Amino acid sequence: MTPPERPSETGVCGASCGCAAGDSPGATTVDSNRNGANATSRRRFLQVLGTSGAGAAAAAACGPPDFADKMIPHLVQDDTITPGVSDTYATVLHGGPTEVPVHARVRDGRVLTVAPNERFPGGTQGLSSLNHSVLQDLYDPDRLSGPRRANRQNGQSGWDGASWDEATQAFTAAVAGAAGSAVLLTGRVTGVTARFLAAWARAAGAEHIAWEPFGHEAIGGSGYPGFDLSGADEIVCFGADFLGTWLDPEGMAASFAEARTVEGGSFAKFTFVGPRLSLTGTNADEWLEARAGTEALIAAAVANEVAAARGMPAPAHAAGVTVDRAAEVSGVDADRIRRLAEELAGSSSAVAVPPGIESQGPDAQAAQRAVEELNAVLGASGRAVVADSRTRGVNAGHREMSRLVERMRSGQVGLLVTAGANPAYALPSAMGFADAMAGVARKFALASHLDETAALADWILPANHALESWTDAEVGSGHMALGQPVMRPVFDTRQREDVLLDAARQLGLALSAEVMAADDYAGVLRSAWTAGLGGDDQWREALKTGGAAADSLDAAAMPDFAADTGGANGTGGEAPAEAREGTPISPDRTAQAADAGELNLVVYPTPQFYDGRGANRSWMQEQPDAITKVVWGSWVELHPETAAGLGIGRGDMVRLTSAAGQIEAPAYPYRGIRRDTVAVPMGQGHTAYGRNAEARGVNALDLLAGETDPESGALAYAGTAVTVERTGNRGRLIVTQGALDDLDREIAHAVNIDEAMHAAELAAESHEVDLTQVVEAAWDSDPNSPYRWGMVIDLNSCTGCGACVTSCYAENNIPVVGEDQAALRREMSWLRIHRFEEETADGGFTTVHQPMACQHCGDAPCEPVCPVYATYHNPEGLNVQVYNRCVGTRYCANNCPYKVRRFNWFTYDFDYPLNLQLNPDITVREVGVMEKCTMCVHRINRAKIDAKEEGRTVEDGEIQTACQSSCPTQAITFGNLKDPDSAVSRAARNVRGYHALGELGVRPAVTYLEAVTHAEMPASGHADHAGRAEH
Amino acid sequence: MSGNHPTLADANRDLTRPISRPGKRFFIVLGVTGLGILLGGGAWAYQIAAGIGVAGISHPVFWGVYITTFVFWVGIAHSGTLISAILYLFRSGWRTTINRSAEAMTIFAVMTAGLFPLIHLGRVWYFYYLMPYPSDRQIWPDFRSPLVMDVFAVGTYLTISALFWFTGLIPDFAVLRDRAKGLAYKAYGALSLGWQGSVREWRHYRRVYLYMAGIATPLVLSVHSVVSWDFALSIVPGWHSTIFAPYFVAGAIFSGVAMVVTIMIPMRWAFGLESYITERHFENMAKLILLTSMIVGYSYATELFVAYYSADPIEIESFRWRANGAYALPFWVMVFCNVVVPQALWFKKIRTTLPALFALTIFVNIGMWYERFVIIVTSLAHEYDPASWGLYTPSWVELAILVGSFCWFFFWFLLFSRSLPVISIAEVKEHLAHDLEHAADTGAASANGSQENG
Repeated sequence: MTPPERPSETGVCGASCGCAAGDSPGATTVDSNRNGANATSRRRFLQVLGTSGAGAAAAAACGPPDFADKMIPHLVQDDTITPGVSDTYATVLHGGPTEVPVHARVRDGRVLTVAPNERFPGGTQGLSSLNHSVLQDLYDPDRLSGPRRANRQNGQSGWDGASWDEATQAFTAAVAGAAGSAVLLTGRVTGVTARFLAAWARAAGAEHIAWEPFGHEAIGGSGYPGFDLSGADEIVCFGADFLGTWLDPEGMAASFAEARTVEGGSFAKFTFVGPRLSLTGTNADEWLEARAGTEALIAAAVANEVAAARGMPAPAHAAGVTVDRAAEVSGVDADRIRRLAEELAGSSSAVAVPPGIESQGPDAQAAQRAVEELNAVLGASGRAVVADSRTRGVNAGHREMSRLVERMRSGQVGLLVTAGANPAYALPSAMGFADAMAGVARKFALASHLDETAALADWILPANHALESWTDAEVGSGHMALGQPVMRPVFDTRQREDVLLDAARQLGLALSAEVMAADDYAGVLRSAWTAGLGGDDQWREALKTGGAAADSLDAAAMPDFAADTGGANGTGGEAPAEAREGTPISPDRTAQAADAGELNLVVYPTPQFYDGRGANRSWMQEQPDAITKVVWGSWVELHPETAAGLGIGRGDMVRLTSAAGQIEAPAYPYRGIRRDTVAVPMGQGHTAYGRNAEARGVNALDLLAGETDPESGALAYAGTAVTVERTGNRGRLIVTQGALDDLDREIAHAVNIDEAMHAAELAAESHEVDLTQVVEAAWDSDPNSPYRWGMVIDLNSCTGCGACVTSCYAENNIPVVGEDQAALRREMSWLRIHRFEEETADGGFTTVHQPMACQHCGDAPCEPVCPVYATYHNPEGLNVQVYNRCVGTRYCANNCPYKVRRFNWFTYDFDYPLNLQLNPDITVREVGVMEKCTMCVHRINRAKIDAKEEGRTVEDGEIQTACQSSCPTQAITFGNLKDPDSAVSRAARNVRGYHALGELGVRPAVTYLEAVTHAEMPASGHADHAGRAEH
Repeated sequence: MSGNHPTLADANRDLTRPISRPGKRFFIVLGVTGLGILLGGGAWAYQIAAGIGVAGISHPVFWGVYITTFVFWVGIAHSGTLISAILYLFRSGWRTTINRSAEAMTIFAVMTAGLFPLIHLGRVWYFYYLMPYPSDRQIWPDFRSPLVMDVFAVGTYLTISALFWFTGLIPDFAVLRDRAKGLAYKAYGALSLGWQGSVREWRHYRRVYLYMAGIATPLVLSVHSVVSWDFALSIVPGWHSTIFAPYFVAGAIFSGVAMVVTIMIPMRWAFGLESYITERHFENMAKLILLTSMIVGYSYATELFVAYYSADPIEIESFRWRANGAYALPFWVMVFCNVVVPQALWFKKIRTTLPALFALTIFVNIGMWYERFVIIVTSLAHEYDPASWGLYTPSWVELAILVGSFCWFFFWFLLFSRSLPVISIAEVKEHLAHDLEHAADTGAASANGSQENG
């Protein structure tokens, strides 16, 4: 199907119920008549009378609509919409570590889910939790609707509503009055968007500062490096959480998983260097426990060793860093550094990953250089590491923000327009951004939420969500993604570029004629892309596929929108080339930072909140943290021994005091952190932003003094010293996982690589393929059915990122239960991720992340105990839950050894407009009903219907479960176990395969493949594995 | 009461006396239980309106106080039929004065217990899905499910117990009819089914009563066996055990007899029934408590031993944690109340000192409630998947309903005690007649009797 240029704008009810829907050109619908009771026509009146009674008519016109009894069929059917059939539109998501081309599934005018865009020319890998949760951002009840003007009389702060006309007039006047002293502050922008904003700013006499809290300034260069880990046999990471929050987590996870395929014959060893095992660190084979901020020192020492071993000249930036000195400063045993150097020297395809956000200290740039040099020495530069693979775009550094704060404070900023940036939260409060706002004469926020920055503005002109906007982005290797609005705005909002364009027209700014002639920003974007692509047909194709490959787009042909032909790029963007030079890394400087205080503070972003923008999305609040499994709050990680020494137990409130400030949060003892280190996640502690974010947890940035790396200007997240003390109170620490040890119960397995290889050889030699699991499982369905659905989850590929969990929430209408209910362990997630710490032979531990959902047992313990047949075995082997039949005895859940069943303790609400996201294919459950993973039975049924219409059976790969499609590492395989050639059958025959709690004999349809590690595992695991391999 | 030994007329008078005109004290107690019912009922109504989530149960402990209390009351229900039916078949004459109250207790306990499976349902308004009714969807309950077995086991038990109780009451209804006037006369008359006391009626009556006792006897064993299967048929470590049926039956008799004693002691005092319910009765019941306590204690030991002997680490961990984990206190309360405290009954002095016996049975009642709590909650809290281990704390709603259930039980018992003879008049007279014949022969019995009546 060819998507229309403008997506369907039919919006059966709520989507178009904004009171000023007329602002979106070309959008005429039946429902447009519903704006305001005054507009009620006779026909409309009769319609309403006929369905809901006249009394409801006025109320129905504006408030949250009650769909069940007020749905009205279209008089004239929109020929692009088939009721009950969803359309897929390609668009692009912003606001995470990287922009992601996605497919948005739209049904009846509402976007329901997002999925990776497999047709995107550059390809995509999975979709993170944060990406899935943009739906909750779109449908956030706390989003602003309609412009607002601050009313700050008598020290009270309030907001008055205003019309868009008033708001745009005020904005235009402000822009006109502040030429030369205006600042347009946005997030990082690329592509045509960047050109447009730059051109607008220049024409309006404003400075455009595009700022991301995590700007990776220390990396330098005109772009971000691209890492291809897939061919590596040695990977060493010096601190970056590249599987969670750094640069391009999904892309890196995919290539990381490829490097670690057991069956491929080469299984890369992964060494993690850092003070704390982050999500990335937990996937490592070996952990060098370096002090915070000293990671790169080890890289320098290793680079020197490798260079010496290979007879290469000593790297310039690493000069003088010896292994012993590095060991002394970092606190890592010198022999282990030497061994790492030997391993790397002996490898032909080693690759090093530099420090990331949490390891960004006062010598951040020197650290990056040291690792770059190590990569050069290792021969990875150019092979596995491609410099400037992804454009930085217009991306100001932290230094520009410091300068901006100074200018604001001294009254040099006449107008500050914030659009898509929240510095009042994401800058350390010590920098005083919020106070400096007082020095700005006029403040406009083109924001979607009343966040910390918008709260300080004079005017808020609410902005469209990315899914309601025309956008574009460069997503790496020169590929460009195109974003189209996939539905009408949910609220009375406008696209920020349209607001700017409007002002430009009013003021007659010096923009190019085509811009001034365009109806709206959509036209601007279209003309620019058409120019770059070379024609209208290509434009349509780009819309359909979600963008264009690097070679099909001529960037030079795209206009820069300036009235004259000036430079295309805005200010403050590209880091100068000489940034690659700089001071060499120095052990002395690093040592100072590391030894300054009692405990070293690590402040790190989490995959769920990133820089704080995930905090108002309830899916993200209820997403258990990958490491601690904490939900709905902040916590302080410290080593169990350190905690014991301070008399701190789990859940005790602790006070962290630094030179800049102090925070209080409950303690979470964690083995994966150095004894002299304490870690606090970022992203919580909002003072504004919405119901889920406000007054929850603490903002870790309050502890930072705002110190920067003098060379790159990067904010130093590492290198702060804190004191830790008990407050004497107990905190509310909601942890969703019980024990961290599976007690060798055959739930999560980790084996040594040599054992795994040996087992694979044995299986190959004996020419016996272990089919038992598949065949047995196949008996557990109706013999006449061609299907027995099953799943294989490769624990070796699973990084624990949690994307599948959020994907499942979005797909299956899983309610969020909220903080109080979560504290009772009543979260509803059908799919959870265990984090087990498996003891290794050397006394350490290796982490196994294990997705756990319904195992669809062939001999399911839950089935016979249900008195009313609410759960039963369907002919295709699925363990099916009939909500209508369930009376809620909860016996099934008691008898489920995997504890994957979730019970509706209440009828959970989906506050308007979050209910618009509900998937119509899935029942919304009521109180007293049990539920659990269905293996996306609605997708199975859809595929079966399609297959039946075509007179065939469902083909392998035709059905993807929601969790499967979002997994960046393809750890999940789903399909028909009765087809011996299906991907899932082949995967289930893997010698690493086992059934969780296999000795119970419940014959699960889910086969797990053991996690594999280079770490030595205790002897019991060996015998166990060999025994199974030989049968 | 006249003389050392009650006459037949004494028996009629003494045993129907409670039925006449209750005093203020009675109404105060009845009012308190009524308030308790309102509390529990209100809590239940709130739970239905707000959602089952107002209870404290959660993941992974999906069953808590409700099922605990259900099993507790089913257990209480055991002694009645045991005393009436089994002791009747064994011709244990001492049952005569206690069987009526014990049976009444059984019925009220089952009525109380039967509420809990409903209270605990997530959607109580669909409770009838558990019944085999002709549904237009042609779905029957799943008879493999122990919960369906429960419906039948408890339903059968309630039916048979009620019929058995009613059968025994027929001659007594006739006595009440003969002493009543007006509406009461008509009511008792209808309930007595026109009993005239003819030899033919007595012959039929005795037969029916014997057969009913025969039918009821296996139920004593079956009901709690089936209830135990609620747990034993699962795969939950700590539940999945073949010892459960005999263990639960013994525990039920233990708790049931204890409850009979707990109720009888104040009732005997309040109604002045000292000459009918004697120390001999209490001593016999105390011996039964001691016996079943030993069986229960043996079961505890067996469970622990089998867990250890199975060499199954999951089973071992479950029992290690039960005695040593977060719920160690309930576990040791259980052991103390059910095994340690009843050992005092080895002493005749204790067995015949009513205040001590009363206090001891209170311990047993508490201990047996905790036994079910320990079995249900600790097993669920510490199951197969360590990542899903979690704890459970009852909410106020659950506790209010627990209190309400006791009030509900005593409310019915109080009404019973004032409207029906708490001791079977017919059987007492039968024995009195027998004893009087003996007394005429020897005179020894009366001396003994005066001592007892002290």
